[in-house]
Amino acid sequence: MTPPPDTAATMMRPAPALRDSQANIDLLRVMDGISLKYLMLLATTVGFMLLAGGTWVYQVYKGLGIAGYAHPVFWGAYIVTFVFWVGIAHAGTLISAILYLFRAKWRNAINRSAEAMTVFAVLTAAQFLGIHVGRLWKSYFILPYPNQRGLWVNFKSPLLWDTFAIGTYATISIVFFAIGLIPDIAIARDRATGWRKVVYTVLACGWQGSSKQWKAHSRTTLHLSGLATPLVLSVHSVVSWDFAMSIVPGWHATIFGPYFVAGAIFSGFAMVLTVMIPVRRIYGLEAYITDYHLENMSRFLLLTSIIVGYAYLSEYFISWYSAVEFEQTHFWMRAFGPYWFSTWCMLGFNGILPQLLWFKQLRTNIWFLFILSIFINIGMWFERYVIIIEGLSFEHDPAAWGLYTPSWAEMAIVAGSFGFFGTLFLIFLKLFPVVAIAEVKELEIHQRSHEGGTH
Amino acid sequence: MAEFDRRDFLKLVGAGAGAAAATGCSDIPQKLIPYVVQPEEITPGLPVVYASTCQECQGGCGLHVTTREGRPIKLEGNPENPINQGALCARGQASLYRTYHPDRIQGPLRRGSNGELEPISWDDAIALLAEKVGTRGSQTHLLSGPLGPTLKGVVDDFVSASGAGTTRYEPFTQHALIDASRAVFGVEAAPRFDLTDADYILDFGSDFLEVGSSPVEHTRQFADSRDILRHPNGGATFVYVGPRMSMTASNADQWLAAKPGTEGLLALAIGRVALEKSGARGGGQAELKALLADFSAEKVAQQTGVTAQAIEQLGDDLAHSQRAVALPPGIGSSTRSAVATNAAVLILNSVLGAIGETVVYQSDRVGDGAAQSFDAVAKLSNSLQAGDVDVLLILGSNPVYSLPASLGFEEAMQKAFVVSFASEHDETSHSQHVDLILPDHAGMERWGDEAAVPGIHGVIQPTIRPLYNTRAAGDTLLDTARALKSDAVGPEDFQQRVRAQFGGSESDWREVLARGGVYEQVAAIPVQLSAQGIAGLDFAPPELSGDGAYVLLPNVSPLMYDGSGASIPVLQELPDPVTSIMWQSWVEISREMADSLELVVGDVVSIATPSGTIEVPAYPRGGIRSDVVAVATGQGHTVGLYASRDGKARGVNVMDALPAATDEAGGRAWLTTRAAIQKTGRSERMAQAQGSDNKRGRQLAETVSLSALAAAAHDSHDTQADGHGGGHGGASGSHEIRKAYDATDDSTEDSAYRWGMTIDLDRCSGCAACVAACYYENNIPTVGEEGAQRSRQMSWLRIERYVGDGTKEMLAGRHPGAKNTSHAYTDHEELGEVDIRHSPMLCQQCGAAPCEPVCPVYATYHTPEGLNAMIYNRCIGTRYCSNNCPYKVRRFNWFDYQIESWPEPTRLMLNPDVTVRGQGVMEKCTFCVQRIQSARQVAKDEGRPIADDEVQTACQQTCASQAIQFGNLKDDESKAVQEASKNPVRAYHALHVLNTRPAITYLAKVTRNETDSGAKPGGHH
Repeated sequence: MTPPPDTAATMMRPAPALRDSQANIDLLRVMDGISLKYLMLLATTVGFMLLAGGTWVYQVYKGLGIAGYAHPVFWGAYIVTFVFWVGIAHAGTLISAILYLFRAKWRNAINRSAEAMTVFAVLTAAQFLGIHVGRLWKSYFILPYPNQRGLWVNFKSPLLWDTFAIGTYATISIVFFAIGLIPDIAIARDRATGWRKVVYTVLACGWQGSSKQWKAHSRTTLHLSGLATPLVLSVHSVVSWDFAMSIVPGWHATIFGPYFVAGAIFSGFAMVLTVMIPVRRIYGLEAYITDYHLENMSRFLLLTSIIVGYAYLSEYFISWYSAVEFEQTHFWMRAFGPYWFSTWCMLGFNGILPQLLWFKQLRTNIWFLFILSIFINIGMWFERYVIIIEGLSFEHDPAAWGLYTPSWAEMAIVAGSFGFFGTLFLIFLKLFPVVAIAEVKELEIHQRSHEGGTH
Repeated sequence: MAEFDRRDFLKLVGAGAGAAAATGCSDIPQKLIPYVVQPEEITPGLPVVYASTCQECQGGCGLHVTTREGRPIKLEGNPENPINQGALCARGQASLYRTYHPDRIQGPLRRGSNGELEPISWDDAIALLAEKVGTRGSQTHLLSGPLGPTLKGVVDDFVSASGAGTTRYEPFTQHALIDASRAVFGVEAAPRFDLTDADYILDFGSDFLEVGSSPVEHTRQFADSRDILRHPNGGATFVYVGPRMSMTASNADQWLAAKPGTEGLLALAIGRVALEKSGARGGGQAELKALLADFSAEKVAQQTGVTAQAIEQLGDDLAHSQRAVALPPGIGSSTRSAVATNAAVLILNSVLGAIGETVVYQSDRVGDGAAQSFDAVAKLSNSLQAGDVDVLLILGSNPVYSLPASLGFEEAMQKAFVVSFASEHDETSHSQHVDLILPDHAGMERWGDEAAVPGIHGVIQPTIRPLYNTRAAGDTLLDTARALKSDAVGPEDFQQRVRAQFGGSESDWREVLARGGVYEQVAAIPVQLSAQGIAGLDFAPPELSGDGAYVLLPNVSPLMYDGSGASIPVLQELPDPVTSIMWQSWVEISREMADSLELVVGDVVSIATPSGTIEVPAYPRGGIRSDVVAVATGQGHTVGLYASRDGKARGVNVMDALPAATDEAGGRAWLTTRAAIQKTGRSERMAQAQGSDNKRGRQLAETVSLSALAAAAHDSHDTQADGHGGGHGGASGSHEIRKAYDATDDSTEDSAYRWGMTIDLDRCSGCAACVAACYYENNIPTVGEEGAQRSRQMSWLRIERYVGDGTKEMLAGRHPGAKNTSHAYTDHEELGEVDIRHSPMLCQQCGAAPCEPVCPVYATYHTPEGLNAMIYNRCIGTRYCSNNCPYKVRRFNWFDYQIESWPEPTRLMLNPDVTVRGQGVMEKCTFCVQRIQSARQVAKDEGRPIADDEVQTACQQTCASQAIQFGNLKDDESKAVQEASKNPVRAYHALHVLNTRPAITYLAKVTRNETDSGAKPGGHH
C-alpha cells in the first residue's frame, strides 16, 4: 500500500494542468442546460417528496396511528431516519472544517457538494422532528420563548439539547455553505443573465476578488471552521444522548458519543460517494474529482468502519462483562431475536464489508466504491433501526415486550425524505457550482508555483 | 361579552350540563340554561349515588350507581349488600355501558309489508300485539330469561290474560347441580358454597373465581381464607381438577389435569379414601361405604389419568381438614352425565361433613323466576317448528345466538309472529323473522327487583330518564294484558308493582331504595342423603360424540360469559386472563399438538365435530391436556357495533360446533363431543396484550415460599438479612428484607402527603375487575381490534401474568419474536403445575421517575404530593417518557380516540372530573387524582387533613379480594403503610434495581405448594 502523498503538489498529481478559464468553463457548465434526463430525475424526487408530503398531511389529520407504532415501541422509522440524516450531515462539516484546519487539500474537490449535502441532510432531518411528534401544532412548545403563562422548557431533557444541537448545526452549516459560495457565485454572476444575474448579485455580496476581500474571506472561513469543528463532534454526540441518557437497555451506554460520531462520519462519507460518483460521471468532472479523491475518502470509510465495528464489539463485550441481565438479553435478542436481519445487515455492511478497502485495487475501483457506499448507507440505516427499535422492543418488563413493523405511511415518508434530499441536491446542481472553483484554482496556482520552483 | 369572565363561563357550563341532563337526555342542548328550579338532590358538580342491583348474572351483587347531573357515570359495588360487599367484577363494572350502547333500539319497530323494519307508535304496537295474541285459537308463547319477582308476577298476569305458555331460558344454568341435589338430598335447589374460613378447597372445575355461582363473593372469601397474617401456615389449601389451567386454576396450589368429564369418578375415589380415614363426618357411613366401594383409587386412576397416589394423598389431606369444600364442575365441563358428576361432588362434600357448613342449602326449591332446564327450550323449539306457536314473545334472552344451531330455532321463528323486547340489537332481534320489536329500557333506566339468592331481595332503580322511546317490558306486557281483557290486571304500572313487591311504609321503601334491597340471614335447612336418589345415578366416564382425536372443551369466558359481554367494547378490550387475547377467538391447544401439527400462535385450524366446523386461530400452551382443545364461549356474534366485525362474525361461536346434547335430567350438556383438528395454512395476527410470560428472574411478580416466610419470622430481628432467596429461586434460606416506600426519600418533604399504594399479590386472583373499573372511572378509550393487534390498548392498569420465576435461557418463554423466527414456540406452563403470578402493573408514581427528566416541555412532572402528573395540554407527543418508563405503563393517543371511541350517546357516560384526552398526547395512571381532589375539598372545608380511607382509587374500590390499599405514605397508620410494614419479608418494589423509588410496594405472592425438599414441584431452577 502506498503511503499518502504529503504535499499539496503531489496530492494534485493525478490532475492534469488546467487553464483558469477551463476550470470556469468545466465547472459552470454543470449549471447550464436542463436535459430531459435531469427533468425525469427531478420529477421522480419531487414525486416522492409530494407522496411524503401528502402522507404527512394525512397523518397530522388522522393521527400518528397510521404509522406502525406498537406498544412499547413508541419511536420508529421516523426517528431512525432522523438519526440517519443527521449522520449524513456530518461529512460536509467534517470536510469543510476539520479537514480545512488540517490543510488536507484533497478536500477541495468535494467540499462544496459535501457542504450542500450537509445543509440538505440537516433540513431533511429537522423535518422528522415535526413528523414524529404527536401534536405538530403544539411543537413550538419545545422552544424556550417568553410567554405570559410563565412556561419554560426542561433543560434536563436530551430532546431539548437535541433541538438546540440541530438548530445550531443547521445555522452554522448554512452560513458556512453561503460564505464558501461567495467567490464562486461571483464568477457565476459575471457570466449570468436574466433572473440568475439578480440572484447571484445578491448572494455574491459585492464580491470583486480584491485581496482585501480574499483576506477577509479566508479569515472568516478559518474562524467558522474553528466554530464548526466542535459541532461535528457535538451534534451527533447530543443526538446519541437522546438514547444514552435514557435507561433503556442497549441505549444507556457511555460509548454512544464517539460511537455515533464515527458512525455519522462513516455514513456521511458513504453518502458523499453515493452522490458524487454519478455526478462526476454524468458531468465529466473526473479532472476535478479524481480517483485519488475517492480513494482518500474510502480510507476515511475504512477508518470509521473500524471505529464503528469496534463499538459494535465493545457493546457486546460490555453487556457480557457487566453481567446485567437486561443488557445481556437485549444483545442476545439483537443478534438472534426477531430483528436479527437488521442486526446482521448492520454488522455485515458497516463492520465487515468495508474491510475490503484494505485493498488498493478496490479503493480505486469506482464501481466497487459506489456499490459499497450504497451498502453502507443501508447498513447505517439499519444500525439506527437496530438500536432504536430493538432497544424499545425488549425492555425491563417482559410482559410489555412487543414488536414493531413500519407501516406504509412510514415507508412513504422515509422514501419521501430521500426525494426531498434529492430534489434539493438536483436544484443545487443547477444553481451553484458543484465544485469550489476558487479553491480548485487556488490549488492550481500553488501547484504551478511549486512546479516552477522545482524545475 | 367583556363582562363574561371565566368564572361565569364555568358556572354556566356546569349549570347548563345539569339542566340538559335533568330536562331529558333525548335532545341535544342548544343553549346553556341554568336551573330555574334546581332539583332537590342535584348540585351541579357533585355526584349523587343510588343503590341498585347488578343484572349481568344471577349472582345478586348490589350496585352503587354514581350519577352526575342526572347521568350514571360509574358503577361500584354496594357495601351493604352481603354478597359483594362493595366489590364488583369486570362484567358488573362494564354493564354501565348498556344504557348508552350505540346498538340500542330507539323505538318500537314493526316489519312492514316490504320486509323492512319501520317505526310504529307504542299504542299501535300494543294494539297489534294484543290483536295477534287475542286472535281466537292463537297460541302465544313467552320465552324469557330468568325473571325477578315483579316481572314474574307481570308475566303470570299476562299468561292468565292471554293463555300463553312460558319458558325461562338461560344459556348457563346450575341445573345439573340442582338435579344432583334432588337426587342426593331430595332438595330441588342449588346449594350456596361458603368458602369463609375454609381450610381445604377442592374445585372440580367450577372456576369459582371467575365464572362460578358467585365470583365476587368467592374471591373475597378465598383471599380471606388464605390471608397470610391470619393463617401463618398458608391458610386454605386449594386443589384444582380440570383439563385446562383456567384463571382460577392459576391460583391453585395444585392442579390435577384429570381427563375431561371424569371429575365425578375422581370425587368418588377421593371420597372413598377420606371415608376410610375419617369416616362419614356428615353421617350415612354405611350407605356411603357401600356406594363408594366400587371406586378404588387404582381403578379411578386409570379412568381419570390422575395417579392413585395423588388420589390417596388428596383423600388423606381432606380427611385431616377441618372445614373443607368440594366445588362441582362448571358449565364448560358439564357432560351428558353432569348430574351424576355433580352428585358425586355433593357426596364427597357429605363425606367431608361439609353439608351445612361450607355447602349450604338455604331453600328446598329454586326461585319462581329461575331459568328452566334446557329441554324446556328444546321443546319450545320443536313446537315452533311444528307450527304450534303462533305468537312468540322473546324477552331478555338471545336464543338465536346461544342455542345450538342444530335446534334450528331461527328457521323455526319464521312460522310464528315473533315479538322481541330487546333493548339493543342482537342476533335474535336482528333476525329477519322478527315481526315486531318493543324495546325494553336498558340497564340504568329500569325498575325491577332481583331475588335469585335466598335472603337477598335487591331492588333495581332507574338512575337516568330513558334515552329513547323505549318502554319497560313489564308495562308493555301489562298494557297488552289490559287490551286483551280489561279486568285482567290491576291499575298499577310496573314501577308501582316493584314498590308493592317490597311492601311496607313509605319510609321502609325509602330505606329499601337507600340500601339497595332487603337483606336477611337465611338459616341452612338440614338435608339428608337419599340412598334411593343416589341409586338412580350412573357414575361412568362421559359419553362423547364424534371420533376426532381431541375433546372439545367450551370453557366459559369470564369476560364474554354466555355472549352477553361481547357487545361491550371494554370487555372486548380487556385481555383474557389466561391468554391475554383481546377482540378475538382462539383455541387453546397443547404444545404436543402444536409440535405435531407445526402450529404457532395465530395459525388458523379447523375444528370439526359432528355438529359443525369452526375455524379459529390456535394458541398453544403448556397448561392444557394434550387430548383437549378449548375454545372460550361468547364470541362469534354477527350483529353489533362491537360484538361483530361490521356484521360479520367476530371470532367464532363455539356453540356452532356443539350438539344440542342434554344431561340425564334434561339440562344442557356442553362437554359432549370430540373434534378433529386440521391446519388450514392461514394465519391471523393475534391481538395479545402480554409480550413474554418469562420473567427472566427480574424483580416483578415475586413469590416467597412459606418456609422462607417462617424462617424470616423466626429471625425477625435480623432485618438486614442478606441473600436473595425465597421464592425466586435463590439457594440461601433467608429472604431479602425490603422496606416499603420511604416517603422521606423524595422531593415531597414540604407536603403532608405522599400518595402510595400497597398491592398484595397473594390476594390478587388476576380477574381484571380493577382494569374495568379504571376504564370507566378515567374515561379510557378503547382502540378496537386493529389497535389491539399493535398492543395500543389504552389501559392504565394491566394484569401481568408470569409463569414461574422465569429462566434466563433465551429461547424459553413466550416472547413476541417466537413467531417470526425459527425458534420453536414454548411457554413455561407445564401440565399439572401451577406457578402463575398475577401482578397488576400501573404507574408506580416513582420518587425518582425516569419519565420526568426526559420530557422537553415539562408535560410530565412531580407534584408536591409525589404524583407523576401528566399535563395533557402541554404534551407535544415526543413519547420519550414512555420509552424511558421501565414499567411501560404510559399510553399514547395514536388517533383521536376521544371522538372515535365514544360514539353518541356514549359520551354521556364520561366522568366529568377526568379530562378526555385528545389526539397525540400521552396518558397514564393518575392514582385517581380526581378522587384525591374531591376528598381534599371536603377535608379543606372541615379544616382537617384527608383521612385514611377517604380516598379510594377505582381499582382498589372494586377489588373483591382487597389486594390494593391506597393511602398517604407519610401517615404511618395508613393502611397502605401498615399492609407493607406488617409484611416486611414480602414487600418489594418492582424492578427495585433501577432505583426508581416507586410509590407502589408489592407484597410477594406466597407459594404454598412446596414439597418436602423445599423446592417447588417442577420449578425451573
